[in-house]
Amino acid sequence: MLRIAQKFLAPVQSLSLSLALCFGAATATASTVSPDAAESARKLWYEGIASGYHALASQAETLNKVAEAYCQTPATATRDSVTQAWKDAFLAWQSVRFVDFGPAELGNRAWQFQFWPDAKNLIGRKASSLLNQDDNVSPKVVAQAGVAAQGFPMVEYLLFDETVNRSENALPAEKTCQLLTSVTQTIRANSRDLNTEWVKFKPHYLETAQYTDGTILGAMNTLEILENRRLAAPMGLSGTKKRSIYRADAWRSGTSLATIEATLTGLKNIFLPAFSDLLKEAGGKDLANRINAQFNETLEHFPDVNKPLAELLTDDSAFYALQSLYVDISQLVTLINDQAAVKLGVVRGFNSSDGD
Amino acid sequence: MISFNRRTLFKASLAASAVATLSGCSLLRGTTQSGPGQLAGAVGLPDGTFAINAIDLQGRQLWQAPVESRCHSGCTRPSSNELLFVERRPGWSFYVFNIHTGERLHHIKAEGGEHFVGHGIFSPGGDYLYVPASRYEQGEGIVAVYDSQQNYKRVKTLELKGIGPHQLVMHPDGQTLIVALGGILTHPDYDRIKLNLDTMKPALILMDRNSGEILARFAPSHHQLSCRHVDVSPGGNIYAAYQYQGPRYETRPLVARYRGGQYEEIDFGHEVLAELGNYIASVVAHPENDLVALASPIGGTALIFEGSSGRIVSKTRIKDCAGAEALPGGDFLISSGQGELIHLSAHRSPVELARMPLHWDHHLVL
Repeated sequence: MLRIAQKFLAPVQSLSLSLALCFGAATATASTVSPDAAESARKLWYEGIASGYHALASQAETLNKVAEAYCQTPATATRDSVTQAWKDAFLAWQSVRFVDFGPAELGNRAWQFQFWPDAKNLIGRKASSLLNQDDNVSPKVVAQAGVAAQGFPMVEYLLFDETVNRSENALPAEKTCQLLTSVTQTIRANSRDLNTEWVKFKPHYLETAQYTDGTILGAMNTLEILENRRLAAPMGLSGTKKRSIYRADAWRSGTSLATIEATLTGLKNIFLPAFSDLLKEAGGKDLANRINAQFNETLEHFPDVNKPLAELLTDDSAFYALQSLYVDISQLVTLINDQAAVKLGVVRGFNSSDGD
Repeated sequence: MISFNRRTLFKASLAASAVATLSGCSLLRGTTQSGPGQLAGAVGLPDGTFAINAIDLQGRQLWQAPVESRCHSGCTRPSSNELLFVERRPGWSFYVFNIHTGERLHHIKAEGGEHFVGHGIFSPGGDYLYVPASRYEQGEGIVAVYDSQQNYKRVKTLELKGIGPHQLVMHPDGQTLIVALGGILTHPDYDRIKLNLDTMKPALILMDRNSGEILARFAPSHHQLSCRHVDVSPGGNIYAAYQYQGPRYETRPLVARYRGGQYEEIDFGHEVLAELGNYIASVVAHPENDLVALASPIGGTALIFEGSSGRIVSKTRIKDCAGAEALPGGDFLISSGQGELIHLSAHRSPVELARMPLHWDHHLVL
């Protein structure tokens, strides 16, 4: 069992981990933003997301090229290059992960890029069944295997899973290489489609007023998941109260914290500028400045805290650094999901965000 | 095309008009047995836990019963003190409470390989409970039948021959189940991911509750119009409400009406449909008049329309509104995820009855 630094944990636990929904105040204090200001915000977001998608497509292209080269002429050096290319592409995805509408939503594309959380180890189970089948693995087979087989976590599994790496299936085994390149081809195709469809989506995004709230809600959801599920849960601050790396993103590769940094950087670069404009338009200049400052303060924890999560959870002083990051992210969530959302009249509803 | 037994349906509508005539003024669901008029809903609490919350018709608190996980909707058991709530999808159990006190009487787990979807309805005598469910490995929609007189023993399974049933109601003939089949394939291992958006086959199904025979099956005008909620008037007019799975910038009809043997969609026009955000959480046909209420949390809009004409008679913005129920006298009560209870009328401006520190889930149960 991991030792718990009680003296550090106590104040953090007292922070609210409950549903980040607020009662009542939203309608009363909501300021209206003019349609023109909202459209300007969408224009800015459109371009930012387009450049994020472009970077993703470019990194996915490289990942596939490097994976194919490695599988054709395997050598230790090129395996490292696959690992690096996977990380670059995966982090490019993290920075646009907050976009949960439009082409990313259709056909479960976001899930195809990253199936998470994976409480039942479906990725491991899918890999095992695909690697042990007699037939060859192709992109078509991967497509039929479902979202758990199609994205970055599957590549991570093949590169980093200790059981696979100790077995005869370890890369560059033929079948494992087939799976690796089939998945990287799938990621490449999905990234290309995302870019093409984002261009087609432009007039709808710019003309449909609901996408203003939709974009803000995407960022709010991302922040809440970041705080509660990507940090609080593995840190043992919620649920079972036990620390566990298995609840985090990308624990196999030790890049959980790098993904958090990439998500925050993506939000800061792509989401924040137009969001600040809207807040200022709604009379929230001070709040906009505080949010900008809080983003900077939160990102100052990197790269120091950028270590494998296992290390951060077991070492008391490292855990303290993680807690400091957590406190700053919580503060960011409060500023955006509570204060700014109320100011702009955006409600992340109990029913509207997770209905049936 | 699908089987459609016209004679049975005709008999059903005759029986329905007889019921409407005989029952007179006391047509509100549950009013005969649930005491001096009360409503209940599944709620989320500020500390992140969940409960069932009961209120009177003025919105005053009566009781609150904790539950282990988020519930969705339920029903009252006729001729008894029992109130039932079902866990939301994927629901692994349902709860039965004393309607007056909130005391928990039963907690029934789903059978292996099955999960509930948040709804249920009793037979008119209260002896059988019908719960829509999914055999999730096979992706088969069913209605699971429980005998309430044998401590909710599972006694039967009715096959819907389709995927993703959601709400069901009892036709006033007392014999026909009206089932909204969403058409969306999900699996508990895959969160709430929609696995078959390209090949959905949503439907409104009329089924004989004893034989399980499918008497009629109607398809929405687009395969991604997920038919999720349904209600029926005492005269047998059925109203189905959809959730459109296509892009947000498109709008499609979200309500269908079945009357006189005809299934037809009501088009409120692009502007109103946009305000409904392609999503309706509740549809309620008022038993005392021709009015039907809708609530959309995505659109933050609740409205009342005339059932016969489709004309909208009242519309208001309520953030995260989802629950709706008919009030004695001809109006409706709307609940929201922000804890609001709003009295919505065709004749007067909306009135907030209460604002509680809790999140009302999708449905109110009378």
